[in-house]
Amino acid sequence: MSALPTAGRPSTAGGPLLEVSDLRMFFPITQGIVIGRHVGDVRAVDGVSLTLRRGETLGLVGESGCGKSTTGRAIVRLYRPTGGRIVFDGVDITRLEGAPLRRMRRHMQMIFQDPYASLNPRMTAAGIVGEPLDIHGIGTSRERRERVRELFEVVGLDPDYGERYPHEFSGGQRQRIGVARALAVNPDLIVADEPVSALDVSIQAQIINLLERLQGQFGLTYLFIAHDLSVVRHISDRIAVMYLGRIVEIAGSRELHDRPLHPYSVALLSAVPIPDPAVEARRRRVILKGDVPNPASPPPGCHFHTRCWLRERLGNPAECETVTPPLTERSPGHAVACHFAERIEGTPEAAAPVSAVAPGGRLAGS
Amino acid sequence: MTLLSVRDLVVRFRTHDGTVYAVNGVSFDVDEGETLGLVGESGCGKSVTNLAVMRLLPKPAGRVEGGRVVFEGQDLTRLSEAEMRDLRGKEIAMIFQDPMTSLNPVLTIEEQMVETIRAHRAVGPREARDRAIELLGMVGIPSPELRLKNYPHHFSGGMRQRVMIAMALALEPKLLIADEPTTALDVTIQAQVLELLQRLTAERGTAVILITHDLGVVAGMTRRINVMYAGFIVETAPTPELFAHPRHPYTVGLLHSIPRLDGPAGEPLIPIEGTPPDLRWAPVGCPFAPRCAWRVAQCWDENPTLEPLVTGVPIQMTGARATHRIACWNPPTAEEASAGRPLREGFVPAPLPTRPSDGRAVAPLLEAEDLVVFTPGRDPVTALPGARSLPEPPGPESQP
Repeated sequence: MSALPTAGRPSTAGGPLLEVSDLRMFFPITQGIVIGRHVGDVRAVDGVSLTLRRGETLGLVGESGCGKSTTGRAIVRLYRPTGGRIVFDGVDITRLEGAPLRRMRRHMQMIFQDPYASLNPRMTAAGIVGEPLDIHGIGTSRERRERVRELFEVVGLDPDYGERYPHEFSGGQRQRIGVARALAVNPDLIVADEPVSALDVSIQAQIINLLERLQGQFGLTYLFIAHDLSVVRHISDRIAVMYLGRIVEIAGSRELHDRPLHPYSVALLSAVPIPDPAVEARRRRVILKGDVPNPASPPPGCHFHTRCWLRERLGNPAECETVTPPLTERSPGHAVACHFAERIEGTPEAAAPVSAVAPGGRLAGS
Repeated sequence: MTLLSVRDLVVRFRTHDGTVYAVNGVSFDVDEGETLGLVGESGCGKSVTNLAVMRLLPKPAGRVEGGRVVFEGQDLTRLSEAEMRDLRGKEIAMIFQDPMTSLNPVLTIEEQMVETIRAHRAVGPREARDRAIELLGMVGIPSPELRLKNYPHHFSGGMRQRVMIAMALALEPKLLIADEPTTALDVTIQAQVLELLQRLTAERGTAVILITHDLGVVAGMTRRINVMYAGFIVETAPTPELFAHPRHPYTVGLLHSIPRLDGPAGEPLIPIEGTPPDLRWAPVGCPFAPRCAWRVAQCWDENPTLEPLVTGVPIQMTGARATHRIACWNPPTAEEASAGRPLREGFVPAPLPTRPSDGRAVAPLLEAEDLVVFTPGRDPVTALPGARSLPEPPGPESQP
């Protein structure tokens, strides 16, 4: 297979690929029929800072409504952020519009969750995959056709299926079309928003393996957004945990797994079911009380304090309700936003949220 | 004591696209107080099996075309609609994946709960209301007296599922069928709901059939598991045995295609190749054969039946000592199951035979010779291989 064209890549090689600082994305709540009075905001993303190094995968994990998808969409500028700064490859893209924004988009592409909704049903598969090339005016029409066939092969689809329509493909194949479309313009960053959660279990692994292979092949950088911590841990080098619009903990994948420092991360890890009855039987599960609060009126102070098991253990200190804990680095590369992060170590909950694997690998257990 | 006994259940759907072979002869038992997991991917027949048990198949397309469903000695397939209505809710209750679609959006929770209770119990409205309050409190809904006046949309997803559990357990059924009860919920809410479901059914000795695609959920929630594929049970075993010694290639494949949170980091996943079968085709051979790494020639022609791993012992259908059975001609060895792929030297999956093994030649369905396709208005002219010459451009009368 011929090498993919690399023309038009940003030149700066050093430095992080993406730097997001204090990103805020509020959606106005309006009242009234004719004149919408602004009565409040849904604070979907409320001060998110993160850095993506070239070639790494950062997992963004959290429950529905925590703002992880909004963060991803704001980063590729599908939204105009309310505040903060997004620097992509040394260029501030926070306020970019029109043609310059379109040019930047060549370097950052998105893969969506629902392969049924994110492909135009009236376009052929080849048309869908080739459309980004048309938009960005890359190559002659013959070169584009070549390129589309090549992309089909790269993602494991038969190039002869190009003239078929999305409904003629299965869910997994459709997601491959979505991946091929994202790859078409040879981007640097791919924001994958729940790319496998709509797929059957046996198909998920096909797409995860494909994404991993493509990353090695083309030196891609991934922002991998998902709610499934097992999948996120599998694919990510680092993981950021979000809760109600804020990052509450960010650490290396293994570090977060072995030594979570935020009570929410502990609860999240402990809630993931593990396909092994022996492990399930000896796990200690942290059951959080209640639901995620409404992001239109988040609790003051630490957003998590209403459900926090650690705060309860410590006798409900007032600080949690009044002061927003900053995201502070506790050890190199491991930052956490909790006033009492040092108190979590040594609690039985934090000691084994996942439980150690039995010797002998994945199928051991009895 | 056997509570439910399903024998050779066959369910088909007659649709405009043809017959859908949804369930193809499924047999299993559930004991009183037992928890059974039904695992498989979308379209494997796990939900349809239970809709057939409840006699809730969509009509007129879905039909039970064979088999028996015996609940406490009576064959449910032979009951009248009225008798069945009386049994639903009281003896067998069901929880669905999406509580928003299974609760009535225009009635308050009170109206729905009181209606359910009074339909089956000779109690007055006040008494039914007290019972509803008690039930909501039991499932952990704060200030139940006030929440009774709310409509379903006032509740969050997790709370709605709690309401569903309260309603399902209102009449103390002997069997609860939970169809993907936590799939629509976030993981911390899922943990809450599963814990609640487990506690309440254990306290009451309610038997549970838990339908899910999530192997993690069944691992912690069930005592026994049926793995389904394409409308067949392909493997059945007590839960610890199934996870420790999976023997069907599909079960092995499922276990290797999901990352485990407690597994070693970066362990490669072994996906199951291909896609689930189209159930509009009548099953021929083993339904998993096209995706199976262990398939042998026999798999293409003959569908294996569910047989015990060890022959010569009486088959135990239920309980913690239930017999481990698989439907496979060439089961993976223990080492292969743990590696996730065949380890036998030189083994290659048998290719699709071009003719059946009995030697009969297969008549082609369609043959084409010297076919020419002429596309007007575009260049170049597309001629299919095999065309010897281009005919004259067709006149306007021959164009569609």
